[in-house]
Amino acid sequence: MSNQQLPDGFEVLEPFVDFWAVHGTANRDARRTESTDAQRKAFYQIAKDHVPRALEYLDQTPLGELDAKQTNLMNLLLAFAHVVNAVELLDKGEAKHAQFRAAMPFIRSTADLPA
Amino acid sequence: MNEQTKVYTSPEEKVAWLGTDPIPAKAYYDPEWFELERQAIFMRTWIEVGHVCELPEPGTWIRRELEFANASILIVRGKDGQIRAFYNACTHRGTQLVEEESGKGANFLCPYHFWNFGDDGRLIAAPDFERFALEKKDCKIPKVSVDTHAGLIFINLDPNPRQTLLEHLGAYAEGMEKLPVARATHFAEYSYEIDANWKITYDNFQENYHLRHVHGLTGIATVHPDNLYGYPTDYTFDGNNRTQEIWSNPTPKITPMQGYNFGLAAKFGMEEGVIGGPHDRTYFAIFPSFFIIGTPIQHFSHKVYPISATKSRGVFRVYWVGADDSASKRYAREYSLASIHDIHIEDVNIIRRAQKGLLSGAIKNIHFMTMEGLCRHLYQCVAKEIEAWQAEQAAKGEPA
Repeated sequence: MSNQQLPDGFEVLEPFVDFWAVHGTANRDARRTESTDAQRKAFYQIAKDHVPRALEYLDQTPLGELDAKQTNLMNLLLAFAHVVNAVELLDKGEAKHAQFRAAMPFIRSTADLPA
Repeated sequence: MNEQTKVYTSPEEKVAWLGTDPIPAKAYYDPEWFELERQAIFMRTWIEVGHVCELPEPGTWIRRELEFANASILIVRGKDGQIRAFYNACTHRGTQLVEEESGKGANFLCPYHFWNFGDDGRLIAAPDFERFALEKKDCKIPKVSVDTHAGLIFINLDPNPRQTLLEHLGAYAEGMEKLPVARATHFAEYSYEIDANWKITYDNFQENYHLRHVHGLTGIATVHPDNLYGYPTDYTFDGNNRTQEIWSNPTPKITPMQGYNFGLAAKFGMEEGVIGGPHDRTYFAIFPSFFIIGTPIQHFSHKVYPISATKSRGVFRVYWVGADDSASKRYAREYSLASIHDIHIEDVNIIRRAQKGLLSGAIKNIHFMTMEGLCRHLYQCVAKEIEAWQAEQAAKGEPA
């Protein structure tokens, strides 16, 4: 039995699903805060080369009709959106930055709405 | 002098009229001064509290907490489409009618004794009402003045507002209507409570002097040798309101995925027709503590609600035109949201430290440099409003 959690063709991203593919902007923000530098960089280094292809693939299906594997891929990409600045801009500054993140929680996000 | 230098030094002339006097630090922590601000300004000025997209159809309502007034306010779109506002309090014994943040329903049923109010605030029914020496027509929920402009909802706790909302917005009313917020259908929100005076909190977002130091990493795209602090290119003033024009870095340092993500967001912004407006670089600061930035990709507003002399609550909103209707759009919006959130997180910590440093009273005056002129203008407007209120009270023979 396959444990595949992502659509065919995105197997390279499977190792990141369990930690990063969560629903909700606040939850993705919390994952970033909880993550280690190594976790963020490993995710970024692999995922960055697959983002355009993954979005092109998901754009073929209306958001409300994504199946479970496609939803995992969508959530993974949305988590990547939070990781980009942590790696590309903040890097070692991310640890200090993370200390203050909980003081400004996300209350509402369009990504949390049903499609 | 090259062209770039010329554009960012000229705004200094626009703020010269504000003077250079030190500002009394006490105004940023003293409870007595705060009480004057509360009475003279917040209890009788138009306060931004939301957006019409939160009231999409008749019967929808939102609740807003205004700590400075110890008030909970219901804002309702009635069956007739009109937006009305009321205190969230039953006229029987004052019980709060709703606890939810928003909802839909034509009536407000008090959970205590089941007094039932219509969406226009009238008492419709109350159990065993005959045993009261009252008439239903005299039991309406107290109304609050409410009006909308550019999609934004404002309320005024003064039963007889001194100005209309349009008068309050003054010369900037027309420009605000051209912003994406006027057409917004969706928004994201993040907020914070902070141990800091509302002016210290708000002022942080009125000046760019701090950008280079506080946002050295997240704001690196704004760094350019011709304008090291990213100072605005222009300022304007109209009554108690003010604007600044955000400088555009000709050669921003963009990282790889940052460039890709903002490229996507810009593509969608073009499709939605929100890019290329006359105020894409304008920051509108509406007295006392609301601002909205014209920038279309991260079109955000910020409202600072005072709580006490040394505590306030900030609400940021990022507005969008249209729903997320594709994976790419949802991704681009998530990145835009996370990016602006990253910058604002850095502000919260430094604001808290600014307040802490003042609390001992050892610092008697604070100092605004030329490019912090908008902060100086806010203080001067606050002082002027307090003076006017005290004069009104004296004329009425009431203590101020």
